[in-house]
Amino acid sequence: MNILYLLIPLALLLLAGAVWAFFWAVGSGQFDDLDTPAVRVIMDDDERPPEDRQE
Amino acid sequence: MARAETCFHCALPVPANCDIRVEIGGEQRPVCCPGCKAVATLIRDAGLERYYDSRDQPDPGAVRPAEDAGEWQVFDREDMLAAFATREADVAEATIYVGGMYCAACSWLIDASLARLPGIRNADINPVTHRLLVSWNTSSIGLGRILATLADLGYKPQPLAPDSTERPERAEQRTALKRLLVASLGMMQAMMFAVALYSGEFQGIDADMERFLRLVSFLVTTPVVFYSARPFFAGAARGLRARRPGMDVPVSIAIGSAYVASVYATYTNGPAVWYDSVTMFVFFLTVARYLEMRARHRSVDRSSALASLLPNTATRLDGGRRTQVPVAQLAAGDIVLIRAGESFPADGSITAGRTSVDESMLTGESRAQEKSAGDTVVAGSVNLDGIVEMHVETTGTDTTLGTIGRLSERARYARPAFVQLADRIASYIVVAILALAAAVAVSWYLIDAERAFVVTLSVLVVTCPCALALATPAAFAAAGSRLSDLHLLVTNGNAVEALSRATHIVFDKTGTLTRGMPEVVETVTHDPGFTEQDCLGIAAALEVASTHPIARAFAHHESGLTADAVEIRVGSGVEGTVDGRRWKLGKAGFVPGTAEVPPHDAATQVFLGTGERVVATFTIADTMREDAANTLTTLEKMGYSLSLVSGDSQAPVARTAAALGVRDARAGCTPDDKLARINELQQQGEVVVMVGDGINDAPVLAGADVSIAPSHAASLAQSSADVLMLGDSLQPIVTLMQAARRTMRIVRQNLAWAIVYNVSAVPLAAAGFVPPWLAAIGMSTSSLVVVLNALRLSRIR
Repeated sequence: MNILYLLIPLALLLLAGAVWAFFWAVGSGQFDDLDTPAVRVIMDDDERPPEDRQE
Repeated sequence: MARAETCFHCALPVPANCDIRVEIGGEQRPVCCPGCKAVATLIRDAGLERYYDSRDQPDPGAVRPAEDAGEWQVFDREDMLAAFATREADVAEATIYVGGMYCAACSWLIDASLARLPGIRNADINPVTHRLLVSWNTSSIGLGRILATLADLGYKPQPLAPDSTERPERAEQRTALKRLLVASLGMMQAMMFAVALYSGEFQGIDADMERFLRLVSFLVTTPVVFYSARPFFAGAARGLRARRPGMDVPVSIAIGSAYVASVYATYTNGPAVWYDSVTMFVFFLTVARYLEMRARHRSVDRSSALASLLPNTATRLDGGRRTQVPVAQLAAGDIVLIRAGESFPADGSITAGRTSVDESMLTGESRAQEKSAGDTVVAGSVNLDGIVEMHVETTGTDTTLGTIGRLSERARYARPAFVQLADRIASYIVVAILALAAAVAVSWYLIDAERAFVVTLSVLVVTCPCALALATPAAFAAAGSRLSDLHLLVTNGNAVEALSRATHIVFDKTGTLTRGMPEVVETVTHDPGFTEQDCLGIAAALEVASTHPIARAFAHHESGLTADAVEIRVGSGVEGTVDGRRWKLGKAGFVPGTAEVPPHDAATQVFLGTGERVVATFTIADTMREDAANTLTTLEKMGYSLSLVSGDSQAPVARTAAALGVRDARAGCTPDDKLARINELQQQGEVVVMVGDGINDAPVLAGADVSIAPSHAASLAQSSADVLMLGDSLQPIVTLMQAARRTMRIVRQNLAWAIVYNVSAVPLAAAGFVPPWLAAIGMSTSSLVVVLNALRLSRIR
């Protein structure tokens, strides 16, 4: 059971890391718009606009 | 042609006799007017056809053709840039409010179109707040070009002054999200250690290990109490200072006392700690608050909603010189020139010229008003056909428009707030639990000191008010998410509760029960040489250039004819040459031989004639929505009383009321009259739902117990409404009312379950019949039952 004295503090460190990462993600605006990115992935492909193809 | 066909672009019904088509995705799609054709073609030619595949719901009025792209050039000027953008070296940044966007597909379309422009560095669009944050190289592109691009797509762009950006709202959202995360992680950790401590009670635990686990629990709970729960403490302090303590006070006492007691027990090695209860309580309350905040932010931002009715710029006359100035720079005493199609930037009076003015958004009056020198005009109304000069009297928030905005703000705050009953009960219960636990501990200490701790623990766990705290928010969240799938956007969390109690539904007429735009309902020809089709085609050709609302009625009837030498006779009609013949189209008296025709009561009559005689008579009226009668009958059957209040004149209101079987109809109402009528109903004990779309409805929408606005409504009306109906029918109101009743039934079931569970479990636990592990299972099962019950709401159809 003594191993818990090492593992639990380690878990707390990981937790602190996760919180820090999340705060960073919120701060950089990743949670501001939750609707568009989900759709954008489907729509943004490599198709060129027609005016480029005509040339 | 089938009447049911709808426009591929804007989803409005395609009028009979209209055959305009556009090729999209290899198929000929019907559209309702040349404007929609132009926008659809533009989108197709830019290679952005996929917009049509991925938009949520074609939105009537959402993307309409732009009126005049030339006006945007003025924004390329230096002083305009200074007024609307911040710049560093040659990079400028501006926030633009994009009117008319509704879904992710819109934001993609805007993104993709801007990406094609040279010199755009970054474009960041938020579909929820309708704001575009764009930065660009001033050497390669101007603000005017960016705005013109948005306008060409059919949106209504409006640059915002740099100080009115969305920063406070965004900051609030971000902070709330962080608080929620800290609370949820803290809760999970605290629960995990609590399980270890509980099982330690049975199987025995090393004293050192127990102290260690308590210390760790203390470490994970502390940020939850001091960071996540801070709004509760702040709210409680505010409430106490104002001598009006709200539910934050008992919540704070519960959180604070449980935390302090636990810290003390940890320090002195006391009998029990309550870290798990503290974190869980904070977590559930934070979730509820977060959901409520998101719903609140969804409603349209009020400041920009008002401003979006005003033009961006105005033409000021400085002693004969014309200068284009931002509307914010206008002051009382200025003389401003307003061209046909522009809206008035301020309240004032006309000094020169004659025109007709569309005030329907402000007054509900569906017919255009004739105005000439000396008449007053109000900001936000639209100048239809003449060029006039006006003397500015009041600007900004002092205008009629601003007053309506303030009126709706005040009505919104005066509304009796529905207190979150469950939250209040839950917080009192927490205090009661702590008192009860203390009493149990003391009694058992006297009876059997050895068992005192275990029994107290069971009481604490079994009585955790999670189910009670979850009962209401879980049901509201499930209902809200299901309703948004059904194209009903609930922006106010309390709306569902009030809807379920509703007894009386009040409708606005123009734009709500009716389509809000004129259509030709009857054509009578007086000359056998011309068919109805011929006459409509000639009329449409003559009206092409006109901005008058009557002209829109003919726009669907274009037959390929063109008119030459068209002259607009302000206040009378138009004149032009079609097929070598001179035609006149206009009101009685303007067309020869029409003076003796008696005026029709409700509809507008327009005459078409040559120089000598009248050839056709068109009857033009605002037509009823197709499902209006059906919806109202269903609502009446469901037991609601119905009323009609309108700013329109007596005849059209009476006609609509008769057609729909509404007995209580009032015409000629100002926003104040409407609000007074609602208050009168409320004093008779009625719970009033208001459905309306105009600016003049905004105060009423805010003052009613619940308000519903269609998605094409004026932004001010939308921001005052609790529920937005996307789409173009009234039927969703029925769904909404049924869903509200069902939601409250579920809430009551949940509350009953939670109370019964807590009340029956407490005596058993206090009597020592429930071991802590059983208590823990009971508590989580009870919460689970509540959540599962709420999820039944996602099956509403």
